[in-house]
Amino acid sequence: MAETRSVSLNINGAGSTIMVEPRKTLADAIREDLGLTGTHLGCEHGVCGACTVLLDGEVVRSCLLFAVQADGARITTIEGIGSGTTLHPMQRAFSRYHGLQCGFCTPGMILAGIDVLSRNPDPSPQEIREEMGGNICRCTGYQKIVESVQAAAAEMADEGGGA
Amino acid sequence: MTAMQETQWIGVSAPRREDAPLIRGRGRFIADVEPVGTLHMAILRSPFAHARIVGLDATAAAALGGVHCVLTADDLDGIGAFPTIWRLPGQKDSDTPALAPGKARYVGEPVAAVVADSRYIAEDALDLIDVDYEVLDHVVDVEAALAEGAPVINEEMGDNAIIEYTFPGINALGVAGDIEGAFAEADEIVSGCLKVGRYSGVPLETRGLVAEWDDLRQALTLHSESQVASLLRTELAAALGLSETSVRILTPNIGGAFGNKWDRYPEDILVSLAAMKLGRPVKWIEDRRESLQATVHGREQLQEWQLAAKADGTILGLKGRVLSDQGAHLHSVGIGPAWVTGAVAVNQYKIANYHCDVVGVATNKTPNSTFRGFGGPEAIFGIERMMDKTARRLGIDPAELRRMNMIQPDEFPYFSPSGGVYDSGSYPEALEKALEAVGYDDLRETQQSLREQGVYRGIGIASYIHVSGFGPSAILGILDYYTGGYEGSTVKIDPHGRATLYTGMIPMGQGTETTLAQVAADQLGMDISNVKVVWGDTDQTPYTGFGSAGSRSNVAAVAIIKAIEEIKAKAVRIGAGLLEADPEDVAYRDGRISVKGAEEMRSLTLAEVAQQAYWAHHIPEGDQPGLEATYVYDPANFTTASGTHVAVVDVDIDTGKIDWVKYVVVDDCGTIINPLLVEGQIHGALAQGLGGAMLEEFVYDEETGQLLSSTLMDYLLPSFTDLPDFDVHHLVTPSPHTEGGFKGMGEAGCFPSAPALANAVTDALSHLGVEVDQTPVTPSRLWTLIDQAGKQ
Repeated sequence: MAETRSVSLNINGAGSTIMVEPRKTLADAIREDLGLTGTHLGCEHGVCGACTVLLDGEVVRSCLLFAVQADGARITTIEGIGSGTTLHPMQRAFSRYHGLQCGFCTPGMILAGIDVLSRNPDPSPQEIREEMGGNICRCTGYQKIVESVQAAAAEMADEGGGA
Repeated sequence: MTAMQETQWIGVSAPRREDAPLIRGRGRFIADVEPVGTLHMAILRSPFAHARIVGLDATAAAALGGVHCVLTADDLDGIGAFPTIWRLPGQKDSDTPALAPGKARYVGEPVAAVVADSRYIAEDALDLIDVDYEVLDHVVDVEAALAEGAPVINEEMGDNAIIEYTFPGINALGVAGDIEGAFAEADEIVSGCLKVGRYSGVPLETRGLVAEWDDLRQALTLHSESQVASLLRTELAAALGLSETSVRILTPNIGGAFGNKWDRYPEDILVSLAAMKLGRPVKWIEDRRESLQATVHGREQLQEWQLAAKADGTILGLKGRVLSDQGAHLHSVGIGPAWVTGAVAVNQYKIANYHCDVVGVATNKTPNSTFRGFGGPEAIFGIERMMDKTARRLGIDPAELRRMNMIQPDEFPYFSPSGGVYDSGSYPEALEKALEAVGYDDLRETQQSLREQGVYRGIGIASYIHVSGFGPSAILGILDYYTGGYEGSTVKIDPHGRATLYTGMIPMGQGTETTLAQVAADQLGMDISNVKVVWGDTDQTPYTGFGSAGSRSNVAAVAIIKAIEEIKAKAVRIGAGLLEADPEDVAYRDGRISVKGAEEMRSLTLAEVAQQAYWAHHIPEGDQPGLEATYVYDPANFTTASGTHVAVVDVDIDTGKIDWVKYVVVDDCGTIINPLLVEGQIHGALAQGLGGAMLEEFVYDEETGQLLSSTLMDYLLPSFTDLPDFDVHHLVTPSPHTEGGFKGMGEAGCFPSAPALANAVTDALSHLGVEVDQTPVTPSRLWTLIDQAGKQ
């Protein structure tokens, strides 16, 4: 058998240790070793953004990292967004504003949208288009995704205002 | 036509039931299907465009730890190949086994397959397979492929001309037009040579398969993303020599398909065969490079058109020759898309005299087959570019030239000179609405002054028809298309009065599950949450010969309506007995079965009647217990959706960059089931049309025959910043042929988008005489056109 290494990481708030080959990508480890299949693989060369996850709060492409590089990191996947039956405003907005069709890019899009709003809580449509330019959707033509992110921003601003 | 149930759900933007798992990352796509003990397949593909396979040694690969088997062409003895289902007279089909037997004909053609414990090991083993190739001369251009002395790609055919099909031209009375007379009478003959680029659906989720074999039950289960599971089951069983009852196709979530997953592929056979051989589940997930090389391509055509017109703008005739670059061999639908190009090129216009030759040509490229639009966008690109060229030649505004030649609303049904019958449409109204929405007159007025300020603004109009709802099966038979055009639905009402709908449709992102549930809920007068939709299991769902496409819901919806009519009639019969009334005096309305005029007093819920139907204590004579019906609807005619798009762009003449100003859509798809989802489909199809118009292209190197754009860094999908906001408007001209008046709509957005853009860019640069006749019009291609024009 090929040599394996131990990788310990915090995934969606829970600690986990897995044994992986050094050549295994983070995306494959998330899907196969951690069983979280919401992280999708669209190109495996860092263009499409379907495999987007948050690593220590930063947006990364899990297909371009080896799992061993994530040792000690805190990772958030789509399964870590929202809690139980409560959806994140971004998830609600994508559904309400038809920001998804086939849903394959959606986990990456939702994480990218959350990331945009974490840096700019009130982006213009043009800013959303520029900030999210690293994620590709083949179904929607993007307009409804832009509307979804704007709607989520409005809802999050309201929530923030009421807190 | 039977009166429809009072509408409650049709026309409503019902929220998609598909969304809940998808937004949580709990969709189940093919890569997520992993039965216990699954092995993984990787495929060795030809690195050469054209090469004889002289030898193949897989000894080292088979010996690698973790490898379970290697499949080569020698393992395919007794295994069949998938047929081409569109078999036009004289068409030369080549037998294409799942692994290239002695010769590879394009880069990416499967040569061998390895099954191993993991995909990583399987790919390691591919490197250990030693193939001895004798490289042959190749050809990747249609004109070169037809030239004397060109390398012959399929030797048994003798040459690279697969088929030539002629549309003879039939006028509205069904007699041959007079094409030569029309050209003799013309004041102007406008010629155009157009090149529609090679691109494709490129779904974000690549293809994938998981096969499971139960040798005790002789049962093969194939998890597949096929858009046409019924046909795949039939053809796969035949290829493997299995009884069709031994094969079950299960469909998970599909991450986009766009026609590309309609075709049958070699891998369908390879994973099945490996699973049967090893007695273990075998999984194959296409990687992106494979996908760009080995999933079917689309479009590529070289078109020559001549349009005969009078000086006043009356169009007298259209002649065309379309060379369709089919790639190495015909795939599932043959030259079908190019045939459709010839069939619909007269578009919305009264062109009485028509002639078109369509030639399918073999080249050393990936097979060109099913892709959203299926030949229609190529036709619309041709005719709409020719309309603008003619307008410019005659000095007539392009809107006016269209206006004066359009088929009028009172001229339906319209018999087109290519033999089709258009059912209905409001072409002039759509054009006027689009012009008004875009502010056409103002744009024209300010165009010159902007140009003087160095702003090169162009306005491009493109009108289209989209023939959908293929079709009456008898007509498909006449067209030598060997499958049916029907859709079946089974609707079962359970004893609690809720509905389960079984459909052969395969949802692939359009929200089909929601829209079909809307139709059923509407017809049954119940809440949509009480309708369950079952799809994606050939053991349960009705056979569909045509399979799913973006424009099939209109046919499936009618099957649902018809099945529910039978259920309601039976509910009325049972209810009448219980209410002690004559069935003639009882009606079904809003989910209740009531005595007419006494709805308050003598009325039963569907649940009450359904319970009785299953107890069956009081079933009317001649009726069977239970409450369910199946209806297979074969369309009475094709439906013709239509519309007009207007693109407005600014062109930077120093760089060739195109900036969006506006994009207006007027779409007419008949009755709309779900407005929000219709808008989503229009946006998505537009994005795909504009992608192929501006960015996307499978580029082949003439010297080596290599596919140069085989990563997503080279094959450019449109991103957030490449596309404008779309201003979408609707007209509703219901189809007179179908219950409900629905027309297909999932593809239409990609029909006029490329010509609208090309016309806009040409208009912006009219002072230079630049003509955009090739897609995609990339910045470098456009800059070259501008540069050449400036030097003249």
